[in-house]
Amino acid sequence: MEGFLFYLGGAMMLLGGVAMVASRSAVSAACWLVLSFLGSAALFAALQAPFLAVLQILVYAGAIMVLFLFVIMMLEGPVMPAEAGRPKFWIPAGALVPAAIILVATARWVPGAGLPGFPGDLPPGFGQPVRVAQLLLGEYLLAFELISIVLVVAIIGALALGSNERTLPWK
Amino acid sequence: MEVGLTHYLLLAAAVFLVGMVGFIVRRNTLIMLMCVELMLSAANLVFVAFSRELGDEAGHVFVLMNFAVAAAEVAIGLAILMEIFRRRRSVDADDLNTLME
Repeated sequence: MEGFLFYLGGAMMLLGGVAMVASRSAVSAACWLVLSFLGSAALFAALQAPFLAVLQILVYAGAIMVLFLFVIMMLEGPVMPAEAGRPKFWIPAGALVPAAIILVATARWVPGAGLPGFPGDLPPGFGQPVRVAQLLLGEYLLAFELISIVLVVAIIGALALGSNERTLPWK
Repeated sequence: MEVGLTHYLLLAAAVFLVGMVGFIVRRNTLIMLMCVELMLSAANLVFVAFSRELGDEAGHVFVLMNFAVAAAEVAIGLAILMEIFRRRRSVDADDLNTLME
């Protein structure tokens, strides 16, 4: 089951990434990136991280990609004209070649010739929200508080960048 | 066919490379931002894979931090992008060369 989820999620993640790099329009690139994030969520589920799998779909595939699509919508007019005159074939080719090299290098080992699997013994309730929350609000409390400062700074910065120039206090 | 840590590391490297090549090759700043997201996602995968290998949820906490950083980066990046588009009517990275001249 975990092996199947790995190959399914990995294929979705790689295919979505390559198609995103190769796509000609920003909207379809965003949709391919959603596929990539869904594959990533499947991989998290295979790695016994159900909480992160749910958050990956909620935060990445949901909130962040909606933000992307919203901005694409707000940039009215042609967003992609500048790349139209350039050669088309080498963009997907350039994205595919390194990935293909790595996958070919992997293929030798995929049948499991001597590669160890994950250890079978995990603590009970591994990856459940309760255990992650205990770490987050216990051992990593300082990092948790600091990351909130990062978010506040980002919100203020986005507001300052996005607001009308005449309403800014220093103009 | 047993899947182990090495499989996940190689997959994460491949995904990271796709994002990196895309960031270098594409000139549309929107898609360059998406490539950064893809690279962050590959890093998250490595965190979770090592978390599974070591049986320790610290990696999950790091991934949560990474979610926040990614959200902040997208918010700021898209705000800058919209401001650039408002002034230049273009989001092409090759058009943003005024500092070079």
